[in-house]
Amino acid sequence: MAGNTSGKTAVGTWIGFALIMLWCLFPVAWIISLSFKSEGETAAGSAQFLPKEPTFDNYKAIIDNPDFTRALINSFGISLIATLLSVIFATLAAYAIARLEFKGKRLVLSLALAIAMFPVVALVGPLFDMWTTFGLFNTWPGLVIPYMSFTLPLAIWTLSAFFREIPWEMEQAAQVDGATSWQAFRKVIVPLAAPGVFTAAILTFFFAWNEFVLAISLTSTTSSRTVPAQMSFFVGPDPFNPPYAQLATASVIVTLPVIVIVLLFQRKIVAGLTSGAVKG
Amino acid sequence: MSTAVAPETEKSGKDHRKGSKPVVSDRTSAENRLGLKLVAPAVVLMLLVTAYPMLQALYLSLFRYRLTAPDDRAFVGVDNYLTILSDDQFWLSTGTTVLIMVVTVAVELVIGFAFAMVMHRIVFARGLMRTSILIPYGIITVVSAFAWQFAFSLNNGFVNAWFSWLPWIAEDTNWFGDYWHAMFAIMVSEIWKTTPFMALLLLAGLAQVSEDMLEAAKVDGATWWQRLTKVILPNMRAAIMVAVLFRALDAYRIFDNIFVMTKGAEGTQSISFLTYRQVIEQMQLGLGSAMSVLLFLSVLLLAWLIVKLFRVDLAQARGEG
Amino acid sequence: MAALALASSLLAACGGDSGTPELVWYINPDSGGQDAVAEKCSTDDYTISTQVLPQDAGQQRIQLARRLAAKDPEIDLMSLDPPFTAEFADAGFLAEVPQDAREQLEQQGTFQGALDAATWNDKLVVFPFWSNTQVLWYRKSFVEKAGIDMSQPVTWDQIIDAASENGGKIGVQANKYEGYVVWINALVEGAGGTILENPEEGVDAEITLGDEAGQKAAGIIEKLASSEAAPADLSVSNEGTAGSTFGSDQGSFLVNWTYIFKNYDETAPDVAKDIGYTRYPQTVEGEESRPPYGGIGIGVSAYSDDQELALEAAQCLVDPESQGINADLTGNMPASTEGYEYEALQETFPADLLELFQTSVDAAAPRTVTPYWSDVSGSIQNIWHPPRSVDDETPERSTTFIEDVLKGGDLL
Repeated sequence: MAGNTSGKTAVGTWIGFALIMLWCLFPVAWIISLSFKSEGETAAGSAQFLPKEPTFDNYKAIIDNPDFTRALINSFGISLIATLLSVIFATLAAYAIARLEFKGKRLVLSLALAIAMFPVVALVGPLFDMWTTFGLFNTWPGLVIPYMSFTLPLAIWTLSAFFREIPWEMEQAAQVDGATSWQAFRKVIVPLAAPGVFTAAILTFFFAWNEFVLAISLTSTTSSRTVPAQMSFFVGPDPFNPPYAQLATASVIVTLPVIVIVLLFQRKIVAGLTSGAVKG
Repeated sequence: MSTAVAPETEKSGKDHRKGSKPVVSDRTSAENRLGLKLVAPAVVLMLLVTAYPMLQALYLSLFRYRLTAPDDRAFVGVDNYLTILSDDQFWLSTGTTVLIMVVTVAVELVIGFAFAMVMHRIVFARGLMRTSILIPYGIITVVSAFAWQFAFSLNNGFVNAWFSWLPWIAEDTNWFGDYWHAMFAIMVSEIWKTTPFMALLLLAGLAQVSEDMLEAAKVDGATWWQRLTKVILPNMRAAIMVAVLFRALDAYRIFDNIFVMTKGAEGTQSISFLTYRQVIEQMQLGLGSAMSVLLFLSVLLLAWLIVKLFRVDLAQARGEG
Repeated sequence: MAALALASSLLAACGGDSGTPELVWYINPDSGGQDAVAEKCSTDDYTISTQVLPQDAGQQRIQLARRLAAKDPEIDLMSLDPPFTAEFADAGFLAEVPQDAREQLEQQGTFQGALDAATWNDKLVVFPFWSNTQVLWYRKSFVEKAGIDMSQPVTWDQIIDAASENGGKIGVQANKYEGYVVWINALVEGAGGTILENPEEGVDAEITLGDEAGQKAAGIIEKLASSEAAPADLSVSNEGTAGSTFGSDQGSFLVNWTYIFKNYDETAPDVAKDIGYTRYPQTVEGEESRPPYGGIGIGVSAYSDDQELALEAAQCLVDPESQGINADLTGNMPASTEGYEYEALQETFPADLLELFQTSVDAAAPRTVTPYWSDVSGSIQNIWHPPRSVDDETPERSTTFIEDVLKGGDLL
């Protein structure tokens, strides 16, 4: 087939490739470049792309900034807990959806779909009201709970799509051998499903890592404020000028985990994003 | 396809078991119970954070209630709704939101499709390309907003310096100084970040288009354009529609970019931002709750419209039973 | 997992195992003044720790109000911007300043304007800490070139014309934020008007922004926005960007708070030497200008678990020495005459500038004290922003809009 590809298309593909790379990486390069500009340079105004005199000062300042490191810990903690719990619940639900016949299955799927489309902003008022009553405002659980709820639909979809690909005869074989449905699930399916679960976890983590609306609405101090929220309130060394370079530095730092995850698991993520999304 | 598969295997499984376990109805009801037990935690959690607060919002929306003046709380019926629906700002924000949604989704669809074509054809560096395209997808929206805000910044951005040869861009163009410029910057950030997602969904759709059919069309002498419109696009319909539905609803809820880049100045506030302002900044829980309810209803309406207009069969498209 | 372990150890650290109570003071960002004062005022009975609020005054209000509405006991002390004092007091968030502290404040010569801004319903609800005002800063080289006599009071018309004709840009604050309303308020008050009257009526207060003074103010903003003197970033300008404009080659005039004087010492020493200062420009020729009034008062939360200690601490935080230390470090001027006598301060700032600051604070026009200030201010921002859109109908339109918003008939 490759032989059929005319030279023109090959060139087109090359150009397309270059454009995609430019599209994806150029803004990242810009942020990295900005993070190496000195505070003096941005205060005076610097319209050029590359820093005049690259400096590591911003990185030192950001790492020494307790508010930022605290926010980073919050982000990791909240995202990881939400991911872990969400994936556990989603695995149970997705198994039931993919494998079992029960009443209300359609209802569950419709609910998940509706929640995936839910306007998060519509919830901040009532959630704020509820959380202050329950003492969850400005706490980790106050963010973990809604993050779980909003990542469940995505996780359930991804997982149920993965589960359908699993060779179920093995489960049946186990059942024939006298195992109950639950035992069959635990002993046979869980190991097989692990890669799918892992993919769902990555997507869930991305969601929680990125979330902003709830993060600014349901927190008010660094004890639970996550990085996106902290960045939007970020105050640099000069309280009256936006700390361009330091914000860029913070941006680079929070993007690092994303890049690492993407580098390690790109194939799984793509599979997870598209699985179940498109099945003719 | 899997719609049909799951129940069938289930049935055959049951047939198989009939010999060893005589009471079928027990088995079925046990399965029913187990199914419910397994989905229960997820369902409870989803409802706890959405349905219950939404009902509370419905209730609060009937009151005049402000956090900083708690004694002034009073039942006002549907007054809050009337206030909002007769308000210019509500409609202007809705207009802005719809504009952002339509433009970004349209542009993403075109660029995303082009990306998908390239990724589909490419034979080298697939891993590199996949990695690169996932970076904008994975990057925090707030970071994307900052990156573009700084790029367009008057004193520290390179956009003015690089593009001042264009007649409508000057060295001192203030990109956040009027509606259209600010909207442009916001949309660039949104499009940059979300096009990869669109491209990946379309790529998966593209993989469903049979090569044989394309080959046959080629043999029959169909031009490139004919192959695209007659073979490729119709066969990708489901994928395109799902992508449009999800991105459109996502774009309709746009908030992060606006919050970071303009804070809603120059008339760029979206409907989500307006709701946020009432609830969080003004602490108007009554009026804000009414906005929340309206926002929720408008999302439902939008989803319904897209599904009806484009006849998206989600269950089929997503392979859900 | 490592993150989790680290987080839990941090949480444990926050819990505090030592016997001395920790008072948490929520501060607006500054260059270290409040931290220094917090350390100075920590005693054997309590330590004062600080938590930084966002930069924008409106955001500071939101962060604090949401937690106070939830009766959060973890806020002990807070730095409050004057326009939001009334709202917080009205909502019952603030503990009253005790009598002996009040006497101390009067004794150290706290400015009347600062006391007024700290009072709601005849009760003193915050401790005036620093009092800020704006003056007109100018580049000596520029006025020389333009040939203006800066020893006489100048008007807005004059400086706009002078800057336009000589290729200068004027630095103001006109982003869609509280600082823009500060400017508008000063212009209105300078023309003998006011934004609203009878604030004690709450939502039924009379909005007087549409009167003649409002027209004058709109006229000036319109004139500047359409003149050559308008900086390119006018509609997104704040204290910082205006400072940058002033420091650039096109710098001419700048209205800005007291701290800007020390702003250029390190980054642009040439500019620092070129700075001149005089009284805030007049809205109407011959009518005394009313410079903006700003500052910070320290409020004690009504929900604090250690209210007694917090009140005691606040008293120390606002004593003349604390005010002096803070002023010297940040350029945010003291709220009392005794605070101005702090020695280091006298060395850092020229005597005539300190005098200008004091006379300006005396003449300053605070924003009206009303619990609904955030609505009033937000409404004004909505209608008056961007400055380019301001015309002679703007004041009238904003009057109607504020009334509608206050009565709940319009969204903000």
